[in-house]
Amino acid sequence: MISLAKSFNKIFGNETLPLIGFLFFIVAVFAIATPKFLSAANFGSIAFQLPVLGLLTLAMLVPILSGGLNLAIIFTANLSGLAFAWTLIQFGGPDAGWVAFALGFMFALVVGALSGLVMGFVVAYIGAHPILVSLAMMIFLRGLGEFLTRGSDISGFPEYMNYIGHGSFLGIPIPLIIFIIVAIICHIMLKKTKHGFSVYMLGSNIEAAEYSGLHTKRTLTLLYTISGVICAIAGVLMAARFNSVRVGHGEALLLVTVLACFLGGVDPFGGFGRVLPVVIALVILQVLSSGLNLLGANQHLSTAVWGLFLIGVMALRWIAGNLPKFIKWKE
Amino acid sequence: MKLKFIKSGLLALALSTSVMTMAHAANKTMGVVVKIGGIPWFNAMEEGIKARAAEVGMDAEMIGPTSADPALQVRAIEDLIAKGVDVIGVVPNDETALEPVLKKARAAGIKVVAHEGPGITNVDWNFEMASADGFGEAHAKLLAEKIGSGGGEYAVFVGSLTVPLHNAWADAAIAWLGKNHPEIKLVGERYGVAENVDDSRTTALDLIAAHPNLKGFLAFGSQGPIGAGRAVEERRKTGKIHVLGPFSPGQGQKLLKSGVITGGYMWNPAEAGRVFVTIGKMLIDGVEIKEGTDIPGLGVVSPDLATHNIITNNLLEINTSTVDGLAAKGL
Repeated sequence: MISLAKSFNKIFGNETLPLIGFLFFIVAVFAIATPKFLSAANFGSIAFQLPVLGLLTLAMLVPILSGGLNLAIIFTANLSGLAFAWTLIQFGGPDAGWVAFALGFMFALVVGALSGLVMGFVVAYIGAHPILVSLAMMIFLRGLGEFLTRGSDISGFPEYMNYIGHGSFLGIPIPLIIFIIVAIICHIMLKKTKHGFSVYMLGSNIEAAEYSGLHTKRTLTLLYTISGVICAIAGVLMAARFNSVRVGHGEALLLVTVLACFLGGVDPFGGFGRVLPVVIALVILQVLSSGLNLLGANQHLSTAVWGLFLIGVMALRWIAGNLPKFIKWKE
Repeated sequence: MKLKFIKSGLLALALSTSVMTMAHAANKTMGVVVKIGGIPWFNAMEEGIKARAAEVGMDAEMIGPTSADPALQVRAIEDLIAKGVDVIGVVPNDETALEPVLKKARAAGIKVVAHEGPGITNVDWNFEMASADGFGEAHAKLLAEKIGSGGGEYAVFVGSLTVPLHNAWADAAIAWLGKNHPEIKLVGERYGVAENVDDSRTTALDLIAAHPNLKGFLAFGSQGPIGAGRAVEERRKTGKIHVLGPFSPGQGQKLLKSGVITGGYMWNPAEAGRVFVTIGKMLIDGVEIKEGTDIPGLGVVSPDLATHNIITNNLLEINTSTVDGLAAKGL
């Protein structure tokens, strides 16, 4: 039994098993508390709500692994969404075809990548702190977006946008499919490529990585660019979900993405963390929020429960980390 | 070390406390999603919803998101659909962002009632306690009366540039003043700060400093008059700069009595909460709402069948003689 858990931990990481246990625990609690929880409608609702937050969390995860932070994720997503929406509108709004979609998507990716590139460049070559750089970028993008749109919506999208945001393929919500694909790519990028290896090394000890011959500056620039690209995908998905683009959509999700990363066992100082536990942490947060909503709880309470939960997980992690020592001492 | 501090600060932000409210299943159910939870206006609305629901034998709850972000409203409505309520009520932060999810709700057989969302298409009814033109002009007339014959400058606040109703009031007020009192001039554009006391205060302070001939603030948004009033008080301009707008009487009682806030019009949010439930109940029972239907709280209505709007004028003037009575009602 112990060896089974060990081999599981070896494949999926130490954080995964306790988090799955937690997930089952809260699902059981909510299932007892309300019969509506274990219903297809509720799981559908969870599956549709998760992806936007999920994509933004992945965009946050990559910089955190390198020991940084990207506070500009929401507004990068918004601005990419604006670029996308602008392209669709140029091609006739509701009548825009798939070519317009492809062009708009490319434009969104370019905007997201550019904003990430600038941040990465400043962090890597000027050596400014990631929090300051991304905060500056956040303020800049927000101001720019509000200036361009005068704070109003851009809407009037073709019908297939509704399908992307609210449709299902083989019973699986399209947004969830998009999220799973991006999560798998992120996992491969981090665990199987040279770039991913560099990100972890850089997060563990940037000087040691530099002296070992890793091109740390290029890695930093690239990882912020990747974060920007993920934001762009999130931005387009938000446009599909909300049928409109406005600077400020999803502003409230910024801190939740940080929370999800730390709940998923990512080291705040960088260097350690995996995609899978973060995804499970996201599911836990969404289950908590939807479950409390089903019970008719106050919205502020679910925020409080999220926070309490994080504290609980940190305490349990400490116990789990110190338990082996304790057992040894007894022997 | 500094990074650790900032990150733990971010985590602490995710914590807050609140009280849990439970709903019982059995009766017909209704969920009303408002702009933001925990502010007096919507607390009063919640009381109205609860009281009316108890009278007609329904289970109704109000969901107030933790920030005025349309993304959070979409999430809350998704959860209500999963919960399988009979009626969804909504006070939209952003009309277009809610269309897809409201469409989904109606496809699931849920009735939808909106308030302060005249442009929404996926609703059974949207009701207004005040017509946009009537409300804007009433404030404009009061401002012109207070400024008097000397003329001067005034500034306009709205809750957010994306709240259509606030902007429609502002449009009506600006148009009426432009036509009837050209000597009273608008400074700047309208400022989207009036759902936040601090933003309203700082913006008002800046405007007072920048425009020595400023004679009045028209603040459309529940916190705008309070914030602008505090700024006027700080600058000792009481009586020289008039602050007008709809606000919560309990919150603005002192400022009104000391003459900092001149007055304004409002409608009763508790009454709006009651109307939500009344219309919800009528929709469930299949009562047709047509020309001449008497809806308790709204009076005899003449609904617009094409736009699903029920627009009435139930204005209450807030002045030194009415404020105590209104505040005593918990507003």
